[in-house]
Amino acid sequence: MPELEDRLTALGAEIAWPPTPPRLWRGDRQRRAEGLFARPRWALAAAAVLLIVATLLAYTPTRDAIAHWLNLHTTFTRTEHPPTPSPLPSGPLGQRLDLGKQTTLAGAQQQLNWKIVVPAALGAPDEVYLKLPPDGPSGGEVTLVYGARSDIRVSGITGVSVLVTEARGRTNEQFFQKTLGPDVKIEPVTVGGHSGYWISGQPHQFAFTDADGNPYFDTLRLATNTLILDDGGTVVRVEGDMTKQQAIDIGRSLA
Amino acid sequence: MEGRPEDDSRLVARAQRGDAAAYEEIVHRYQEVAFRTAYVIAGSAADAEDAAQEAFVKAYRALDRFRAGSELRPWLLRIVANEARNRVRSSGRRHRLELRLTEGFRPGDAAPSPEALALAGDERRRLLAMVNALSEDDRLVIAARYFLQLSGEETAATLGIPEGTVKSRLSRALARLRAKVEEAARA
Repeated sequence: MPELEDRLTALGAEIAWPPTPPRLWRGDRQRRAEGLFARPRWALAAAAVLLIVATLLAYTPTRDAIAHWLNLHTTFTRTEHPPTPSPLPSGPLGQRLDLGKQTTLAGAQQQLNWKIVVPAALGAPDEVYLKLPPDGPSGGEVTLVYGARSDIRVSGITGVSVLVTEARGRTNEQFFQKTLGPDVKIEPVTVGGHSGYWISGQPHQFAFTDADGNPYFDTLRLATNTLILDDGGTVVRVEGDMTKQQAIDIGRSLA
Repeated sequence: MEGRPEDDSRLVARAQRGDAAAYEEIVHRYQEVAFRTAYVIAGSAADAEDAAQEAFVKAYRALDRFRAGSELRPWLLRIVANEARNRVRSSGRRHRLELRLTEGFRPGDAAPSPEALALAGDERRRLLAMVNALSEDDRLVIAARYFLQLSGEETAATLGIPEGTVKSRLSRALARLRAKVEEAARA
């Protein structure tokens, strides 16, 4: 019989360890630089409560409006000092905006278990990017890029006309968060029967919780005017230097 | 250097200079042992995940205090183990660790007969059950040394005891386990 130590060593190779979670460190450069880390699940509940309290304290629309936002699992906070983005690296668009890997619409769809919606008003995207865990949120995030459109000028912030970003989350636990500066306007809108918000005025930061209920902070790419829609469990973000009506038309054409 | 993994000290130096990719590589390199170490202490995969996740955040923030020339793995495992212990303490619940065996045989093994496989499997299961039944101190030191394959220094860091104590504790744990094995063989 082998020595006990040898038998224990051999036994060690056969232990059925629970699978190592894929996202013990969720990192993009900006998140780390800003100290915005993935939190353990217990912290999420506390963070959500803090955000709600912050909303009630920092913004003063009606309680009905706040309740309406929360019903969309959306929380907005305002800050006097929005974070300053670090310079983005130069290079190809996907890398510059941290959109993930370039693919095609069909290629992205093959890797997702939820349906990508495309705005018919804009037609086929010029480029498609996909960000999967561990770099992207649970469930993945797809971005449709519309480089230049005659009716929507190219944004000085993103360098393209429109970005349509879609991510999946658990309906009951998902919230979106915008860290809004004092000059940012927010308006509730309804688009094609879906609740949404039009956020305009100044660039703003963007964060949300992913399909596993973990906070997911996009790279500190400042969003331009943005329409957020909750489209049947897929949260769609339409960003660009466009008017509210243009954004709503795009949102209404999602299919 | 191409194709060879970069050594820890260079990765740490890069991470200390703010190179995010270097820290990413450190996490990638040690996330499995970190998670398993936390699991052995916390006894629950969910608590282990939270502990390991928080530990990597704390380690990142503490990187500037990491002493050049020190071993990275024990340093990381100490943070992970502390986090796992704190989590158990603060939650007030203690899951009893129940390690189990994978099914089937390992790749590279010669295919045994079904009878031999069944016998070997039974024997391994009995041994693991005996380890599971040991006191927590005994179980932890055996799991750290033999199942996680930690060095003496790493085991000491993980258990929060001096390296000399690891040796004596391991020796006593093995003696108690051996007694159980012999007793079972006589029965």
